[in-house]
Formats: sequence, structure tokens, C-alpha cells
Amino acid sequence: MAQTTQRAEESAGRVRRGYGRLRDIVDDHEPAALLTVAVMGVSLLAAFIGFLLVSPLTIVPFAVFLVAAGYGWLRHQELTALALALTTTISTLLVLGLIIVFIFRESIPVIQYETATVFGVSVPGLRMFIQPEWEAVTPPVRYSMVPMIHGTLMTTLVATAVAAPLGVSAALFLSEIAPATVREVVKPGVEILAGIPSIVYGFIGFTILSPWASTQFDLTGQGTYLFVGIVVGLMALPTVVSVAEDALSTVPESMKSGSLAMGTTDWQTMTSITLPAAFSGVSAAVLLGVGRAIGETMAATVMLKGVPKLTEPLVNAFYGQETLTSLIANNYGEADGLQLDALFVAGVILFITVMVISVGAQYIEWRMRSKLGGDV
Amino acid sequence: MASATRNDLVETDTSRTDAVAAATVGVSAVLFVLALFALVEVVTLTESLAGLPTVTLLGLLLVLLGGTVVAFGVGSRLGYVDTTPRMSAGLIAGLAAAVPWAAVAWGVVAHTLNFGNAAGFVAAGVAAAAAFAATSFPREDVGSTVPIGLLPVVVGLVFLTSVIGPTWTWPLGWEQPVTFNAELVIPVATLFCALYAGWAAAKAYGGFGARGRRMGAYTLIYLNATSIVAFLFVLIAFTVVQGLPGIFTGAQFGFGTGPESTILGVTFQWPFSLPFVMNGVALLNDFQGVLPAIAGTIWLVIGAVVFAVPLGVGAAIFLTEYAERGRFTQVVEVATNGLWSTPSIVFGLFGFAFLIPRFGNQKSLLSGMLTLAFMLLPLVVITSREAMLAVPDEYRDASAALGVSKWQTIRSVVLPAALPGVVTGIILGVGRIAGETAPILLTMAGGTFTPGGQTVDVIGGFEFTSAPPFVANPELLEATSALPYQLFALITAGVGESSNLANIDQFKWATALILLVVVLSFYAVGIGARYYFRRKLQYE
Repeated sequence: MAQTTQRAEESAGRVRRGYGRLRDIVDDHEPAALLTVAVMGVSLLAAFIGFLLVSPLTIVPFAVFLVAAGYGWLRHQELTALALALTTTISTLLVLGLIIVFIFRESIPVIQYETATVFGVSVPGLRMFIQPEWEAVTPPVRYSMVPMIHGTLMTTLVATAVAAPLGVSAALFLSEIAPATVREVVKPGVEILAGIPSIVYGFIGFTILSPWASTQFDLTGQGTYLFVGIVVGLMALPTVVSVAEDALSTVPESMKSGSLAMGTTDWQTMTSITLPAAFSGVSAAVLLGVGRAIGETMAATVMLKGVPKLTEPLVNAFYGQETLTSLIANNYGEADGLQLDALFVAGVILFITVMVISVGAQYIEWRMRSKLGGDV
Repeated sequence: MASATRNDLVETDTSRTDAVAAATVGVSAVLFVLALFALVEVVTLTESLAGLPTVTLLGLLLVLLGGTVVAFGVGSRLGYVDTTPRMSAGLIAGLAAAVPWAAVAWGVVAHTLNFGNAAGFVAAGVAAAAAFAATSFPREDVGSTVPIGLLPVVVGLVFLTSVIGPTWTWPLGWEQPVTFNAELVIPVATLFCALYAGWAAAKAYGGFGARGRRMGAYTLIYLNATSIVAFLFVLIAFTVVQGLPGIFTGAQFGFGTGPESTILGVTFQWPFSLPFVMNGVALLNDFQGVLPAIAGTIWLVIGAVVFAVPLGVGAAIFLTEYAERGRFTQVVEVATNGLWSTPSIVFGLFGFAFLIPRFGNQKSLLSGMLTLAFMLLPLVVITSREAMLAVPDEYRDASAALGVSKWQTIRSVVLPAALPGVVTGIILGVGRIAGETAPILLTMAGGTFTPGGQTVDVIGGFEFTSAPPFVANPELLEATSALPYQLFALITAGVGESSNLANIDQFKWATALILLVVVLSFYAVGIGARYYFRRKLQYE
């Protein structure tokens, strides 16, 4: 009870503070400036609504906004700059909001179509996860996500097995071991590795790795989760390296020096001081690498078979059917109606998974920063 | 030469054993390289190498390697070699030894002795437990050498006795058939044995104990870093070698050979002709090219930068300079980081659902620009914010003390100081989005081959109309190509579509190389700019 009162007081205080700040701004500026900013805000809002409603008249309020902003910039720069900066911040948030709204909205019909009844309760969308058939043409039409989730899981597991140990080891090398001159060579190298377009990896995988794997393992046809996983792991490697390196360099120098002063070797310092202290940051790096691997599209699209089926047996990583990402890239062209909506379901699954991973990683990093006393 | 820095009064007589251990590391390096060559089929297993059949040679080297490692450990235990071991090799070494032994036991029981998978798993468990115990319980010098040294010995004997010969196969009997062949198993087994034995030998070289472990770990870490750089180098070199012939098809140099172009009203003739980057694809062309895709990529990048940079820098200004640190900034931070890790294909879906219906219901250059701008936006926010936070508060205080208003301070103090960081971040971000395929696949790209006449010309495309929205640019509202999409389309193209290309493979590799050159030049400029600015800041 006392807590709720306190919280209510706090929020009331916050509202009061916010109101006070608004009053300050209103008091600080001339009415003409405030009016200009108000016109900017209203016209931009109108333009946004017009854009959402696909109105050809969107241009009119947008022109008004431009004129108002131009006038404000010339006559009342101080307040206009603040207003524009606020607008851009809100637009950044808005992009995320729009992504959520639009991909969820498109996926609703197929979620309703794939309703399944469990214990007398009908759960929308459940049938996509309890049976493994993807059949878009002949009835009964079924859009199961199970084969694609399986595929994404397989490639991500392989990718993590590649990227995590190599990435953390390379981060240790860069942050603790390498002499300055070597670091100057290796670090840009890792960055360039991140810059190689995924389609180039996919192209090399498609023309060289896939045929090679097919002959090596006597496979029927091309495309294996194993090799897609390895390629995707190499693509996720730079993410792991750079985030883990940041985490390792967050460990205060005094902790390391203290350990070295005890007469330990630098490797002992790394394993018993630096790595444990940076453990959460390093695991956040691996998590972000996993997120990258889950979302990787082009290599999977060109290297896999593109047939939504489970592999036989399930652990058979030598065959590659379809991942969530490649499903979208392979089918967006000819899909319409429910099938198109099913692609959006794949997008929603990807979006939610990666968002959870990203927020989790940020939480872990934030905790580590506060634990190490903000010595960033 | 490692002993050169040591004090002779303290350590004597270690140079010979050091040399043996170092030679062992050398042998494992040789094996590692041999195995790699066998894997990429530079060395064939069925032929001979240095007078011996390749498999026999590998087997002999493995037995020699394993035997030396074991002998070193036992010698140290019996006091012939002077080392400083600890009581146990530790849990990590135990786990590391358990994994390969489990695999060996599974393979032997399930396949060689043909007892089936269940028995194989039991054997794997037993072997793993035994290897773990043999590693963790004895003193470090024995624990970290004997179980790991026996591994190459066993594998080498398997090769020498032709249990696994050059024609060995093992069909797994799965519904989707998989067969393990000697061509893969022998090099991979050799590779892992060489890694393990090299690690153990490096530990022995360091005399076990803390120094030995450091030596072992450093060997692996240096190997890893070298492999990453080597991988990058091989990847780029391979693409360059494969792509260059395609780019220089039909190239001519000298005055009067190139096409004419007009830039800013000045007409001139290029002193060279490079059809691959100056032509489109057409039936009557002598040489086909990817000019429309290059132009498409350039316009995409320009469009994305024009949309994303003002928004991103503005948001960063608000977050660092105006807003107080609190709930709101935290939400924006989480949102931008989340956006940054959102998969590119999700951005594509979003553009497909949100932008396409609003720009004439068809794929268009504008939709592609905006989609990439949405992808670029979070990176611009993050890097600009970092750059602005790095500007010392003293700058702001000094400016405020002079009575300068807040916006003036931002404009003339904070932004100039943060500019290098912002610019570097933008360039690196542009390098990333220039290579993205997935988003433009759904929002912009159409057609496998684009004729040269369809090269986009955004500036020339603007026209005014009487109906709202009064300004139209058909160039922006049409589907076009970009380099990454061009490569994707080439990969997935059917045979019939590519009939007017003389050498489709050469064309593909050349496209990949051009894409790589475009993207990596952004990176080179970005990284170069960062070094330049850092040097400058250090001198000031």
C-alpha cells in the first residue's frame, strides 16, 4: 500500500516536473517562435496521417511543414533546432513502431486460419507449430513453421559453434595479447570481414562449397545446414569479436595490474580475472552473434534447397531444406493471399526472437557496466 | 632462441629438451598444413608424397608426433626432463581430451566393429569418462600429454594398418543418405590430431605449469587470429582472381576508345573503355555489362544517406544534448539497438507492406532507398551518439561560460568536435547497406538483366504535374537493379535467361568482384578516415 502511494507520488512528481519543463520552454520563448513550432508539429502530424492513409494530398501538409521549419530556422533557430531534434528522435521510435504494426497486421489472417483446438480451447496460430506440413497449393492447405524453425535452429547451432569460440578467442587476442602493430592489422581485417556482403559469401558457398559438400558426403542434390551454418558463423564472427572486445576492455586496468603484481602469468590473469569479470559482456557478444546468425538471409537462400520440409532424421545436418529467412526470400515473388501472410508470420517470429535476444544482451551489458562501477 | 633471454645461472641444460618440444610443435604445424592441402585437394590421398603413399606418410607423422608428446610427458614424470608441472591438468583439458576420444570410440564400436549405434554411444561415454579421468587425475605433465598424445598414435595406426584407407567409405544409412568418405575423414582427423598434439607440445615446451599453459593457449589463439586474417585474404584474393577476366573482357585503353559522357555540362571522352562497367545487357552488345546495377547501387546509397543521416544525427543531438538521462533516453537506446539487430529481411517485409502500397503499388527505387534508410538509421544514431558523448564536457562548459546559447554551442562546438566519429560511422554503415540484398529484393529489384537504356537518372527524372502531389519522378518509382541483387539474380537465373551471355560464370564472378570493390572501398575510406582523425587528435 505504502509502495503504491509512493509510486503514485513519484509519477505525479514526474508529471509535474515535465509540466514545469514545458512551462519553462513556453516562458523562455517568444509567442511567434512557439507558434511556428506548433505549426510544424501539426503539419507534420497531418502529413504522417496522410501518408498512412495513402492520400495524394500528403504533399500539402508536408510543404507547410517545410515552410514553417525554414521560417523557424531563420527567425527562431534555438527553438526550431530543439523541435527538429525531438522530431527526429520520435521518428526513430516511430520506425520501430511502424515495423511492429505492419508486420503483425499482415500476419493476422493466416494466424486466424491456422487456429487449432487444444482441450476444447481454440488457440489462433497454434496449428503452425504442432504439425510439420507446409503445403501451399493442394488442399488441405497448411502453413507450418516447424520445418523452418528446425532449419534456423540447425544453422544457428552450427554457426554458434563456429563463431563463439573463434570470436571470443580473437577478441582476447585483440584486447589482451596482440602487440599494437599486429592489432592494427588484425582489427581492420575483422571489420572488413564484417563488410563482405552476404550475397558474396552466398555466391562462393553456392558455387564452391555446396557442390564440394555434395561430392564429399555423396548427397542427393545440393544444400546442407552444416555448411550454411559454417558460412553464417563466419559472418557472425565479426559481431562476436567486436562486442566481446568491448566487454574485455571494460574490465578496469587496475584489476588486471593487481593480478599481474601477484606474479601470475598474463594468461592466468586472463582466465581468472579478465574473463570472469567480463563474462556477462562476452556472453552478450555471443548472444548478439546468435541474433546475427538467425537473421542471415542471402547465404541461406542461395545455398539451401528451398523446400520446406524436415530433414530425415531430424539431426541430419547434411541436408538443408529451408530457414525462416530463406522462406521469405524464396517465396515473396509468387506468393499472395494467405501464403504471403504466412511469410509475414516467419518475419514476426524472426523479429520477436532477435528483439528478445537484443534486449537480453543489452540488459546483460548494462548489468556488467554497473557492476564494474561504470569504469567505461 | 627462446632460451637466449634466460639466465643461465637459474636454468641449465634445458635447450635440448626445448628443441625436441619445439620440433614437435613444428611437426604438428606441418601436419596441419598437409591436412589442409588434402582437404582442398591440392594433395591427393591416393597418390604418393615424398616417396610414400600419402595416407602412410600422414599415419607415420601422426605416430611420431603422438609418440614424442607421450614420451615428453612420461620423461618429465620420471624426472628426465626438467619441468614445473602442477598437480592436475585441469577440468578444461579433461573435457578437451574427452571429446575426441568419445568420437574415436563411437566410430570404432559403431562402425569398425559394427555393434550398432547404441553400443557406440555407450562406448563413447566410457571412453570420454576414461579420457577425462586420465587427464584430470594424474600430475599435469602426464595428464596433459598421455591421453592427448595417444590420440594421434591411435589415428596414425588406423591409417597405417589401412583400417581407413584411401578408398574407405561409411554410409550412415539415414533416410536422406549421407556417406563419410576417406577423402574427408582422413584430412579432418589429421587436422584435429595436429591441433591437439600441437597444443600439448606447446604446453610441454613451456615446461607445463602456469608458463606451459600460457604457451599452449597462446599457440591456439595466435593460430586462430592468423587463420581469420588468412581466410579473409584467401576469400578476397580468390574473388579477385576469378573476377578480373570478366571485368576486362573487351577492355580497351588509349584516347578515343571510351564512350562519351557529360558531367556538369562538360562533355568529354573517357580515355579507356571497360564494357563491363559501361554497358548494360542488350542483344546487340558486343560485351555485356552491369552499368544499370552500379548506377542503382549508387542512387540507393545516396537516397538512404539523404533520409537517414539528418534523422539519425538529429536524434543523437537530442539524446545527448537536450534530453536528461532517464527512462526516455533508455527506451530510445533499447529501441535503436533492437532496430540495429533486426534481420534485414524483416526490413524488407516492412518495406513490402508499408512502402510499396504508398508508392504506386510496385517495386520502386524510392521504396528501396527508404528501406535501406531505415536500416542505416539506428547505426547513425548509435555512432553519432558515441561520438558526441566522447566530446569532453569542458568544451560545452567553456562555451556556455561565454554566454553562448545551447544550440549555438551544439552547432559550433559539439558537432565539429564529433564530426570525425559521425562521418566514420556513416561511411561504415553505408558499406554495410550497400551490400544488402534481402531488403531490396522485396522492395526495389526487378528483372535479371537490365538494358543499358534503363540506367537510372534521378536528377533528370523530376517533372511537375498538375494533380497532387504536383512533383513526380518516374525514375524513382520504377523497379531497377543494384549490384547485390544483380548477383543474386544471376545465381538463381535459369539457363534460358542467360543465353545472350558468352560466359555466364565469368560474368557472375566479375559482378561479385565489382560488388566487393564498391563495398570494401567504403570500408577502406571509413577505416582510413578513423586512423587519420585519431592521429590528428593525438597530436593536438
